[in-house]
Amino acid sequence: MIVDGHVHIGKSTRLQINVDGAMLLKIADSLHIDKLCCTDLTALFYDMHEGNRLLYAEMKKFPDRLLGYASLHSTRFGQAALDEIRRCKEDYGMRGLKIYSTPEMSIAEAAMIPIMETCAELKMPILAHTTPAECEYLMSRVPEVNFIMAHAGGQPYAHGDWNRAIMVAQRFPNLYLDTACSTVDSGFVATCIRELGARRVIFGTDIPLLDPAPQLAKALAVDVPAEEKALYMGGNILRLMGVGA
Amino acid sequence: MILDANAFIGKWPYWPVQASSVHDLIAELGMVKIDAAAICSTRSVFVNWEDGNAEVEKAAKLQGSAVIPFACLGTTELSHAFREPAYDFDGLQRRGFVGVRLYPQHHSYHPLFSGFVDVILEDAASRGWPVVLPLRIIMNWGMPTVGPEVMHELVTRHPRVKWILAGVNYLHELQMATSLMLRYSNVCLETSCVMGYAAIEKTACMCGSGQLLFGSGAPLQLATAGLAKIVQANLSDDAKEAILSGNLKRLLGGYIA
Repeated sequence: MIVDGHVHIGKSTRLQINVDGAMLLKIADSLHIDKLCCTDLTALFYDMHEGNRLLYAEMKKFPDRLLGYASLHSTRFGQAALDEIRRCKEDYGMRGLKIYSTPEMSIAEAAMIPIMETCAELKMPILAHTTPAECEYLMSRVPEVNFIMAHAGGQPYAHGDWNRAIMVAQRFPNLYLDTACSTVDSGFVATCIRELGARRVIFGTDIPLLDPAPQLAKALAVDVPAEEKALYMGGNILRLMGVGA
Repeated sequence: MILDANAFIGKWPYWPVQASSVHDLIAELGMVKIDAAAICSTRSVFVNWEDGNAEVEKAAKLQGSAVIPFACLGTTELSHAFREPAYDFDGLQRRGFVGVRLYPQHHSYHPLFSGFVDVILEDAASRGWPVVLPLRIIMNWGMPTVGPEVMHELVTRHPRVKWILAGVNYLHELQMATSLMLRYSNVCLETSCVMGYAAIEKTACMCGSGQLLFGSGAPLQLATAGLAKIVQANLSDDAKEAILSGNLKRLLGGYIA
């Protein structure tokens, strides 16, 4: 089973996306991807309540195919954000949290700590668009939470430095690396798996932002036994989300 | 009469801001005696520009003359689909929009290298619509910016446009703006982010008061603070009147009675 751990749904002019569940599944079907773990763009960049509701509506249309990340657009909304995470888990059946970080508005700050603690309590993995340095700050404070470094350093704010991402992940056993990124450097996914083990890597495509074909190709190209491939191609994210494969 | 050239409806994703609806905004502006505001929706900036414009259209219908609707335009291209760039300018006009705002720093395009920007600007020039180009959305360092050199080049490339340069603050940014204002009488500077000591006075002294427009950035910024910059500036009453309402009235060509 292939599960894409990093998918966007909804609308964003900034990211030039306007996509619903049906369109995403058409893309997934063309590549034999079984399940998509989605984050709504309105929730991620504008209004968490509205966007998470929109995602829930899409999840209900495709309950066997779409898994949901609750999303927050900021760490600065205090109890409202914590309540939203809980609501997303308990009422909407979402199984993870997605949050974005930029150098100007970094989530590596005190306000993120209760969010991480809540996710740890609810057993929700956090997929965060973070740099290795931000992960180091955050995981030092709440090491028990399952945390996925989106793009594994393969994003502009992290200078594409996936080697550094691996070094940080080696220090924190609950830090996972997401393969979705524009980087298709030789050895990227293979080194992640070699250094961390297949249980610590999460396959993702970042559709519909990125072309999923090279994302899939770079992950499948790694020469490891089938049982290890099954872990990072879907087993790991399902385990972290508490979903039976 | 006081007219605000730069206000918003919609939610603010970075930290809690109480006002988000048009009712909230009008109430907040009313407390400092601002009669009407040119608005766009933050939904246009952060989610989808077309959806935000629909909110502005609705807000204008609800609040009548208190709302001066500006359309926020972005790219029509999607990363995952082919789509012909086509703007329905006539439709926007029928829906009541009287100006345009661009936020390239939030919409992932470079205004000098995206052909659709030239299309928008030339159409706006033909219609006599003012175009707001914000260097930053509010005066906060967490916000992305457009380089002053990019603004300068865009204005120079489209000199027929009634430009409203917004989000300008630092000295070099003001120098860019004033150089354009001195060269083109149809370039105006909006004041919401101008924070320097006596900066409004100095700009008025260099360029005259006829090209300055009061803007608050409300409710994301405090309207009363923006107003104080004008009201307490060492300028004549006529100059203040022009900045607070007369210039925008003129720019909108009879839209405001």
